[in-house]
Amino acid sequence: MTVLDSRTRVDEAAGGGPAPAQPPAATPPRPSRDGALSRDPEARLQALFDPGTVRLLTPHDASGAVAATGQIAGTVAVAFASDPRVQGGALGIAGCAAIVAAYDEALAQGAPIIGLWHSGGARLREGAESLHGVGLVFAAMTHASGVVPQISVVLGPAAGGAAYGPALTDLVILSEQGRIFVTGPDVVRSVTGEDVDMARLGGPEPHSRRSGVVHLVAPTDQAAIQSARELAQLLAGQSAVDLSKVRLDTVQDEIMRLESRGRDITRSPADHLPDSPRRAYDVRPLVCDLLDGPGIELHPRWAPNLVTVLGRLAGRSVGVIANNPLRLGGCLDATSAEKAARFVRMCDAFGVPLIVLVDTPGYLPGVGQEWDGVVRRGAKLLHAFAEATVPRVTLVTRKAFGGAYIAMNSRSLGATKVFAWPGAEVAVMGAVAAIRILHRRTLADVPPERLHEVEAELAAEHQRESGGLERARSLGVIDDIIDPIRTREAIARAIAEAPQARGSHGNIPL
Amino acid sequence: MSDIRAEMVANVWKVVATEGDQVQDGDTLVILESMKMEIPVLAETPGTLTKLHVAEGDVVQEGDLIAVID
Repeated sequence: MTVLDSRTRVDEAAGGGPAPAQPPAATPPRPSRDGALSRDPEARLQALFDPGTVRLLTPHDASGAVAATGQIAGTVAVAFASDPRVQGGALGIAGCAAIVAAYDEALAQGAPIIGLWHSGGARLREGAESLHGVGLVFAAMTHASGVVPQISVVLGPAAGGAAYGPALTDLVILSEQGRIFVTGPDVVRSVTGEDVDMARLGGPEPHSRRSGVVHLVAPTDQAAIQSARELAQLLAGQSAVDLSKVRLDTVQDEIMRLESRGRDITRSPADHLPDSPRRAYDVRPLVCDLLDGPGIELHPRWAPNLVTVLGRLAGRSVGVIANNPLRLGGCLDATSAEKAARFVRMCDAFGVPLIVLVDTPGYLPGVGQEWDGVVRRGAKLLHAFAEATVPRVTLVTRKAFGGAYIAMNSRSLGATKVFAWPGAEVAVMGAVAAIRILHRRTLADVPPERLHEVEAELAAEHQRESGGLERARSLGVIDDIIDPIRTREAIARAIAEAPQARGSHGNIPL
Repeated sequence: MSDIRAEMVANVWKVVATEGDQVQDGDTLVILESMKMEIPVLAETPGTLTKLHVAEGDVVQEGDLIAVID
């Protein structure tokens, strides 16, 4: 593999497949939408890497793809880009060889790899040879899975093989103009009779809300590239916990300093919880407060009842999983369990510690859920947590009931630490629901006017017997009940003190 | 136009918005009660609330139409 200066052009096909004789001329920049990048793959790669760091790994010719290495915020990374100016970015054996070369380099360097996609899939004219090439790309991606972080940025239509390429990677970012589908609108129309345009078939709306193919939608190409850079830094430049950033004494100094400037940041993170335990609230501001900054929420509109965020705590990269009571009351369901399972396995594969914020009434009941495979798909989350070797810290903020308690990184599944805020409930189900089952016969004989009173008495007795939070602590399934204001410190310390480990498995797109 | 549908089986506990209201993304339209939780149903697009299909005390099934925003 030749490492070339980005200014040098070599007229030589990377993999020897039939390629048109003329490489595309240097593109005049297209008059384009705000924040849209040029269609020139080399220009796109330049936009991804730090200025002046790009070196081409494969020649910029008519193969349909270019590979390069460079730096992202000072960290070595590898990238490739398909060339939409040649046959709509379709990939033949040569273009696929360029992508495989990028993967070889990423694995050799232990560097994250970023794919910039804009491609119609396999080159029709090459027939089986192009299909073979695309298959080799899939194999390279799979072999690199869990070894180096893989991020895909889809900047234009990505169809067929170009759709499954991104789908095999860890994180998929879709620019507003990006489209992902196996077969385009014409084929859909001719086969099923459905009349649909590219945006509705595979644009931001269906992929952000329905399919879960896309982790992030970006308003522009530039924003998509910027997100890829940030995610690469979080996964490849994880840093270590710096406890001085979260120790309460320094935090209090900071509070005093900011208060003296008239800012009120004395809020405890528990202030995000509503007074009524029945009331829903948005967990995302709480997640944001626990992290050093806002972090990047993945899959924000898909399975929104469970929030997954990559961010930093005390300077160290962490993954946060939180039930969001605002949606479905914070219930786990089939889709959210799958979303969480994939996130847990990704973080584990790259050694990113996990923080799990629990406030869930349980698994969502219903025929729809059962038929949707809540058992099979929920099992993925149990498997993901039980297998994870990264430090993983759980905090029960309000309630953790039933199977969802177990699934949300319980002690039994091997949590590093389990914390709870004062007043949190841990049980098989809520006390009233429990006594309605345990004392069904007794309650059937109670006159309706006394029912409420008797239920309350039985519930109080049940809580005393089954023990609530204190019992959970004495059993060791909860390690500590912590003052909410110490939450950041407690979690950061638990992560810092745990042995740093990393799962040895791939990240199958669950 | 966007249809707001129930995400789960629930009782309609409170109807917060009224037909004809101008709503923003994230505004609460109706509060459902399920799993012993009060669960807000939110507008996901800005617009005018043209139709409310539920009243307090109704039971909605997953997928039932709750409101239409134009």
